[in-house]
Amino acid sequence: MAARVLRSRRPETVPWYAVTVEADPAALTGRDRPDLLARLAERHEIRISRAPGGRGTEIAVRTADGATREQVRALKQLLETGEVLRVEGQPEGRRTAFGRTAAPVIRHLTRRGPR
Amino acid sequence: MKALCWTGVNELTVEDVPEPHLLNRQDALVKVTASSVCGSDLHLLDGYVPAMLAGDVLGHEFVGEVVEVGPDVKERRVGERVAVCSILGCGRCRYCREGLWSLCDNTNPNPGVQEKLNGHSSAGIFGYSHAMGGFAGSHAEYVRVPYADVNAFPVPENVPDSNAVFASDAVPTGWMGADLGQVGPGDVVAVWGCGGVGQMAALASLRMGAERVIAIDRFPERLGMAAAIGAEPLDYERADVLDALKEMTGGRGPDVCIEAVGMESHGTGPQYVYDRAKQAVRLQSDRGLALRQAVQACRKGGTVSVLGVYVGMVDKFPMGALMNKGLTMRGAQQHGHRYIPMILDRMSRGEIDASHLLTHPMRLDDGPEGYELFKRKLDGCVRAVFRP
Repeated sequence: MAARVLRSRRPETVPWYAVTVEADPAALTGRDRPDLLARLAERHEIRISRAPGGRGTEIAVRTADGATREQVRALKQLLETGEVLRVEGQPEGRRTAFGRTAAPVIRHLTRRGPR
Repeated sequence: MKALCWTGVNELTVEDVPEPHLLNRQDALVKVTASSVCGSDLHLLDGYVPAMLAGDVLGHEFVGEVVEVGPDVKERRVGERVAVCSILGCGRCRYCREGLWSLCDNTNPNPGVQEKLNGHSSAGIFGYSHAMGGFAGSHAEYVRVPYADVNAFPVPENVPDSNAVFASDAVPTGWMGADLGQVGPGDVVAVWGCGGVGQMAALASLRMGAERVIAIDRFPERLGMAAAIGAEPLDYERADVLDALKEMTGGRGPDVCIEAVGMESHGTGPQYVYDRAKQAVRLQSDRGLALRQAVQACRKGGTVSVLGVYVGMVDKFPMGALMNKGLTMRGAQQHGHRYIPMILDRMSRGEIDASHLLTHPMRLDDGPEGYELFKRKLDGCVRAVFRP
């Protein structure tokens, strides 16, 4: 019963995940839009609009999926800085048995968030 | 190579770890020549910052020599001596362009936890947990520096490592505290905490024209250093801080209150006992004793500038005082890039000397001992600096 009540209160719609990018909307809507954006558009509803005050472009992707949020952030970083920052492959000391198990979970959680 | 790793709560080990290599085209590799402990490391050490993993390399305040640059690095050159900002900026997002470097949108590849807890994520930081990017720290022989053109600053030849190392964090953080408080001629400034950052906030306030700076701590050697800078020391174990500040300011209270203590604030009286107990059982994440006092002490219409690190919730925050006294409260991780070139220039001209902070030069092998001295404030330790 309680589970049914909780479920019924959960919003039905998939939320938007939005970022603002230092870029001209024209560069993101035409044929020459970045490949990553085109790929996201194949699988998700996407809204691109000019940000107020000349503050770039708002890219909103309808998704509840952590992997897609990661791709949206990568797109923003690629557009603004020309590369996506990597942290895998850095020096690290010995991981404990717990650490070896926990590391992928913590990385996943910190990267994509708990939802 | 050798590196100082966090291996558990209050546990550090020097380990052999693989050398770093370039991971992005705008990276540089820096051979570390001096790397300082920082008060904010203690929150990691004590287990209050989430998302640390045993084996993570610590350290974020450092200088060194560029030994390799990626193909898209345009400004930095192999062989240059550089001070590297502890906070990573990308230089291109709106925040970096506006000088709000610690709010960079692009340098924290792991923004998930912060987005959930704080609403938004801030910039990545060297050696400061996976929630702040998971970047390997500088207590090592070599460190990889992303976006090297904007994060590494050439050090003038006549500035020794013992001074330049603090241009990486302590001096710009302190400078930002005074800047956020808009300290100006005639102001009375109170600074909570006389560690490296607090002392540099006092120094910056005086350089910006403050008429009086009152420096609050309990350790005589730190109060003595603040006095040598030109501040008036106030020992909170010997005086009631709120009464003393009122008396010293003709009843008004300080114009600008700079909090350079953070989430593990010490103090006296029942409020301190209450804070410790609640933090110990995780009913609050941060102890806000100094912060509450700063809000309480600040003059009507004044500014409270928060430099001490907080990660979550502070209990019993005096919101009524903030609102009814019309205070402005500002805080940030350091927007270091805004100040570091000016600071290095002033160091070169002899106008800023932070080298007295370096009380304990040590080998990297002695890292665990260095943190023990620093944490327990033993042997007059203000900063231990490791030379790998």
